[in-house]
Amino acid sequence: MENIKIKNVTKIFDGYFKAVNNVSLEINSGELFSFLGPSGCGKTTLLRMIAGFEVPTTGQILIGDEDITFLPPYKRPVNTVFQNFSLFPHMTVFENVAFGLKIKKLPKDEIKDRVFEMLKVVKMESEVNKFPSQISGGQKQRVAIARALINKPKVLLLDEPLAALDLKLRQHMLIELQNIHDVVGITFIYVTHDQSEAISISDRLAVMNEGKIIQFGTPDEIYEKPKTIFAANFIGDTNLISAEVIAKYDDYIALKCDAGNGDVFEIDSAVPFNPEIGQKLTVSLRPEKIAISRTPPEMKDDFNLVEGTVEDILYYGSHTHYIVRVGNLRIRVFDQHKRVYVDKTGLDWEEKVYLYWHDTDTHLIDEVLNESL
Amino acid sequence: MDNTQYVNQQKNKLSWLLATPTLVWLIIFFFIPYLIVVIYSFLTPTIYDIKFAFTTEAYREIWNWNYIKSFLISLRLAFLTTFFSLILGYPVAYFIARSSAKMKNILLFLIIIPFWTNFIIRIFSWRIFLSPMGALNNFLINLGIINEPLLILRTDLAVLIVMVYVYLPYMILPLYAGIEKIDFTLINAAMDLGANRWQSFKKVTLPLSKEGIFAGIILVFIPSLGMYVVPHLVGSQDSLYIGQIIAYKIKDIPRNWPFASALSLVMLLFVAVLMIILYNLHLKQQKLKVEENVQNQKKEI
Repeated sequence: MENIKIKNVTKIFDGYFKAVNNVSLEINSGELFSFLGPSGCGKTTLLRMIAGFEVPTTGQILIGDEDITFLPPYKRPVNTVFQNFSLFPHMTVFENVAFGLKIKKLPKDEIKDRVFEMLKVVKMESEVNKFPSQISGGQKQRVAIARALINKPKVLLLDEPLAALDLKLRQHMLIELQNIHDVVGITFIYVTHDQSEAISISDRLAVMNEGKIIQFGTPDEIYEKPKTIFAANFIGDTNLISAEVIAKYDDYIALKCDAGNGDVFEIDSAVPFNPEIGQKLTVSLRPEKIAISRTPPEMKDDFNLVEGTVEDILYYGSHTHYIVRVGNLRIRVFDQHKRVYVDKTGLDWEEKVYLYWHDTDTHLIDEVLNESL
Repeated sequence: MDNTQYVNQQKNKLSWLLATPTLVWLIIFFFIPYLIVVIYSFLTPTIYDIKFAFTTEAYREIWNWNYIKSFLISLRLAFLTTFFSLILGYPVAYFIARSSAKMKNILLFLIIIPFWTNFIIRIFSWRIFLSPMGALNNFLINLGIINEPLLILRTDLAVLIVMVYVYLPYMILPLYAGIEKIDFTLINAAMDLGANRWQSFKKVTLPLSKEGIFAGIILVFIPSLGMYVVPHLVGSQDSLYIGQIIAYKIKDIPRNWPFASALSLVMLLFVAVLMIILYNLHLKQQKLKVEENVQNQKKEI
């Protein structure tokens, strides 16, 4: 197994700026792993250290048992798909893909066979003689992937590979990338600031902020159980509410939520958590988990119910985005347009509504909410 | 007439209006003088002046070993000047192109500073610097590296040194402009694909700076070929450069203006042909590459 081990890696620029701060991580062989974070979080620096364009200030990077920390890029079993593709403008598609093999001085016939084989994988065999300026963004992307994969790297690094493409193409290439990953079976390390890309493509991902890994795990773990306010906020949409624990029971926790201006409301949470009574923490409530209704719903034991007033309605086609005022809070609710729930069609501004959700969806984060958020 | 046509017509009028002063200038001071040179080259020389009698004598006179030798010497100088300014200029241009924005301005400024001093004065200072009692020889003798002064001044070497000095900025600036445009992540990409520093330079940086190299070569080669002042001031009496011959034929008595004109025109023709060949080679190379690739593809299918 050729796992990638990142051991206590720190990168300091200009003597003071910690781009990457003591990161340790193991990426399994064959995995599609993502680094997700806002720009400046250190994910690209980390990728460049794996590629060999930067040397860590301290720490080690290993592939299998081989320490590659100080190897120059051209001696690493790693290839990169660059953000803006970085195709050689003076070479044709064929020459771009053949570049790595030509450097290795393989026989011409073998190069030709392998290039065409690779171009078939990325479905670009009909454009071999065009120059990069003559092909579309999606095609450049495919060439960049072929050019990297032809060298049979142990690891493929992808630096925001879809950032330069438009939305439809991005969604399409995401599926393509996953298919290519299945075909070649090597480790892919994917860097992105786009949480939806990271969640949909990755086997596992690491959320980064300010040079540190905030959390890593499978996409659903990170989406459903964010450990920090940052992770909850950065991945998907969420409602963050300050709360205090008022009682603990066997299978749920009772919370008093602060709605501002001294208003409070009480909800329950059935997530596994063991707080102190009186502990202050933060509730993260995903907008799509909340149901909205103009009549009181038929309550069950494990439901939470809150009353509010509709402040804003944003129509998105597939769903409607309601902003509901509860005390001083603005709770966002995503409501899928399913005809079976006819009750709230025609909900109007300033209408009184009931919000309700399952108490297992009252996710708790062991951090105090900073009001400025 | 529709609106687009009308707008285009107005735009055309304006661009002609703006171009007129320059065109008039070029016609009076460039085209007409050249025409006069062409006419003079077919006239008969007298000791001080010319006679209006048609002859091709001047052109036949050029095919003389002395003149051909001068031509070859000039050609050698132009090649060597171009070669050395390219070799010396490329690393400088590369370094400037990869510096920070602030550093770039400072360095480009330093490259341009020599232009502030008059060309002739700069060459005279080289004469003093290279002379047997000059700074260079004093320095080397005091260091004990040599015992007797090196006789550099008034040799072809002195001409070459000063020529490279004079033309280096003309090489560096277009090279810089070419290299500066290269996306340096391409070098990262090349190294990522297994090319070491030298290979990525050879396969990526160098081909992508071709335009700059081409411009630099033209800017240095053409004026070096006809250079008169530098060989005149620091060169040897034994090797006459073509520019010197043209000058002597114009100012020294017996004068031979038709011959000087003919020699200038032959030089002009030579340079023009050379440039056309170079340019076509450049184009053909790209075309060939495309064709070769098309054939590759056909075979494959």
